[in-house]
Amino acid sequence: MPDRRCREIFAALSQYLDGELRVKECSELERHLRDCRPCLSYLENLKTTIGACRQFPTRKAPKPSARVRAALLQAIRK
Amino acid sequence: MNPLVENALENLKSGDPQAVERAIESLQTAVYSFGMKVCGNTHDAEDTAQETLIRLARSLKEFPDARALAVWLYKVAKSQCLMSRRKSKFAPVEMLSLDELMPRHQAGGRDEPRSWSVTPEQIVLDRESRARLAKAIRALPKHYRLVLILRDMEELNTREVAEVLGISEDTVKMRLHRARVFVRNELEEHFRRGAAPEFPLPADALKAGAAMRRNDA
Repeated sequence: MPDRRCREIFAALSQYLDGELRVKECSELERHLRDCRPCLSYLENLKTTIGACRQFPTRKAPKPSARVRAALLQAIRK
Repeated sequence: MNPLVENALENLKSGDPQAVERAIESLQTAVYSFGMKVCGNTHDAEDTAQETLIRLARSLKEFPDARALAVWLYKVAKSQCLMSRRKSKFAPVEMLSLDELMPRHQAGGRDEPRSWSVTPEQIVLDRESRARLAKAIRALPKHYRLVLILRDMEELNTREVAEVLGISEDTVKMRLHRARVFVRNELEEHFRRGAAPEFPLPADALKAGAAMRRNDA
């Protein structure tokens, strides 16, 4: 992203997606995105990446060992 | 927060044998799954789950709510996992430079970023795409990988991640952005091959960004 403004936008994309930018910064970023297709596409793909991380399936785990079960059950009974 | 952890504390304390069994299995799954993401092998993940849950048994009365339990669990599991890794293969700490992660395209050039035209669901449902994503996360330097796993996969908030890792919230945000950008860039080549020729309308993308912010609120 050769443009200086694009560099600033690039650094703030996660904060934008996480809703951590101030209203004014947010408006400025959105104004830039309307005119800058590469930044907008980059944002789109970053958002897709984050969404995929959030939906990544949970690994099937082996059953808890007898030692783990016994320790937790004993702790609950106390 | 990881739903497996969210209901576990209440179920453990309920006294109902079935709820207790469900809670033990949920916690086992949550910690094992976290261990797999951080350690990358079943042996270390099993050890991590076992040691973490046995330590949990000694501290069970100390948690006022599920959030406190989650922070404690991930803190202990992270330490267990990193100890296991140290025994086998120690990965040196690397720094990710934002400048180096930034794409170097020319407007209208072949390397200009384009929408992948895939949804998050399609990525995780497609075996090859899911494997590419997992590989990209594994390729992250340890400090960045932990932040991404805790924030974007285990869904802790920034303050909780800072507490688990013993770092400032600003450092969490900095590492998170670099980790996300790293993973996104690793996936770029894979999805570029299937990218649609047309770009999405800016208005649609902005609406989607706003929806994501609302969901995070």
